[in-house]
Amino acid sequence: MLKLEKVEIAYGIVPVVQGISFHVEDGELISIVGANGAGKTTIMKAIAGRLHLRKGSINFRGKDITKLSSPDIVRMGITYVPENRRLFTPLSVEENLEIGAYIINDKKEIEKNLEFVYGLFPRLKERRKQRAGTLSGGEQQMLAIGRGLMANPKLLMLDEPSQGLMPILVTELLNAVKKLKELGMTILLVEQNVQEALEIADRGYVLQTGQIITEGNGKELLDSDIVKKAFLGM
Amino acid sequence: MEGIKGAIKDALDFSDFPKSERIGIIIFYIYLLIFPWVVSSSFARAVMIQFLLFALYGMGWNTIGGYGGQVALGKAQYVGISAYTVAMMMILFNIPFWVSMPIGVFLAVLWSFMIGYPLFRLKGHYFAIATIAVSLVLQDIFRNWEFVGGERGLSLPFKGTPNFLYMQFKSDVYYYYFMLIFFTLGLFYMNWFRKSRLGYQLRAVKANEDVAASLGINVRWAKIKAYAIASAFVAVGGAFYAVYHMYIDTSSVMHLELSILIALMAMLGGAASLWGPIIGAAILVPLDRYLGSWIGGAKGLLGLDLIIYSIIIMLVAALEPRGIWGIVEKVRAKRG
Repeated sequence: MLKLEKVEIAYGIVPVVQGISFHVEDGELISIVGANGAGKTTIMKAIAGRLHLRKGSINFRGKDITKLSSPDIVRMGITYVPENRRLFTPLSVEENLEIGAYIINDKKEIEKNLEFVYGLFPRLKERRKQRAGTLSGGEQQMLAIGRGLMANPKLLMLDEPSQGLMPILVTELLNAVKKLKELGMTILLVEQNVQEALEIADRGYVLQTGQIITEGNGKELLDSDIVKKAFLGM
Repeated sequence: MEGIKGAIKDALDFSDFPKSERIGIIIFYIYLLIFPWVVSSSFARAVMIQFLLFALYGMGWNTIGGYGGQVALGKAQYVGISAYTVAMMMILFNIPFWVSMPIGVFLAVLWSFMIGYPLFRLKGHYFAIATIAVSLVLQDIFRNWEFVGGERGLSLPFKGTPNFLYMQFKSDVYYYYFMLIFFTLGLFYMNWFRKSRLGYQLRAVKANEDVAASLGINVRWAKIKAYAIASAFVAVGGAFYAVYHMYIDTSSVMHLELSILIALMAMLGGAASLWGPIIGAAILVPLDRYLGSWIGGAKGLLGLDLIIYSIIIMLVAALEPRGIWGIVEKVRAKRG
């Protein structure tokens, strides 16, 4: 579905991502894990069309999207849920969700997506009229994901959804992500929370200073020495 | 057809304001309607005309600067382009105001696309500085361009008799009402704009560009469109300015001070609110004019007006970034 080939990205002259290739297949949940500054967010922004590549190409469902602008990429079915949630805090929960359906003009479809999101996160339905800024951290993250889902994505990219949440909420949230996958959504997940991200993933990539140092299915990676040493302190 | 009907309905619908505020607005508007009969002082009328003109400028600025959050400080260049277009077309070809004004507005909008397209690669302060730079360059070009009067400026020829086509009247009452019509249309337009698709796009852009883009909004195009609308607004005002004063030069229609004043009106009253620019103009224009008549030429010499403007900017930034309307909304929220 999504295929990156030898992608290089630089901020000015500083190379951040140095020739990485990976792919995401239909219905997969892929985790990219790595420390701060490894280039995780940069890759996501590049896929979403917010950054230009220096080299390499990005392919989505057989089409080259390397040079497309963000709005076009959203229309092709890739939704990026940025880190730190970035909600429209003065607006209500429901308004935030409705903005997510910006590219959809059919009222019935918006209604359907809204029901889907409320089904996935019942908590949001309870608080639909509440201002987004007054939600708890976990609820805000649910809302950010829900907003992303409103655009009917074929690929959902989640950038550190667990950031700043307490452990019990992290588990709850990642369970919701897993459920989404079971419902057939293709998901690209970027996480610092290595253990849990790899547990729910079909496959994972480990990123270090802009390069993929190892890859494999989630369980394999968790057992591998390189992950144990670098991230889990074992 | 549906779309147009809906737009007109939105433009005329003020029902999201509390009743007390709506009554206040109606009373204020009635006062505007009967003002020339209540007050006969020509000085006061001139102040009122300028108030309406600046409110119109401020409304325009509010699209890009308020809702879009892009601090544009070069609006005077669009005032200038259309004022000069109207003046030159009348001097050279004797073309009436109602023909030259749309052309002036068109040229201003065209220029805004040419400027907006490259400038919106910049963000935040850099964008603000770039808008200043462009308008300064344009002012210098006009000042040194003999064809458009250069340093001397342009005087519009008198038609002798009052003439609707050329907007030349004996009494300033006529100018007052024409300005009031522009003001009213502008107000309705803005009332529609704030509920329009572009209005919401801009607010999303202002809140967070990255999120707006990842929702599918074409950020740069939204900004360029809003910038063009803002330019059209001030261009209408500029065309009116030319026929009203019958004399223009670069320091009256293209000066940086005008650009700053336009932005300041909206910021003081409350950026990104419907009434903000009107409130701002209602405070700053009389202040400016009465200050001018009180201390005379010393105003410019001392730079007293500039001192006052900068104090206002600092106060707004420090105390209530959403301006006077922000205070109103806070009070409204407290009451329940």
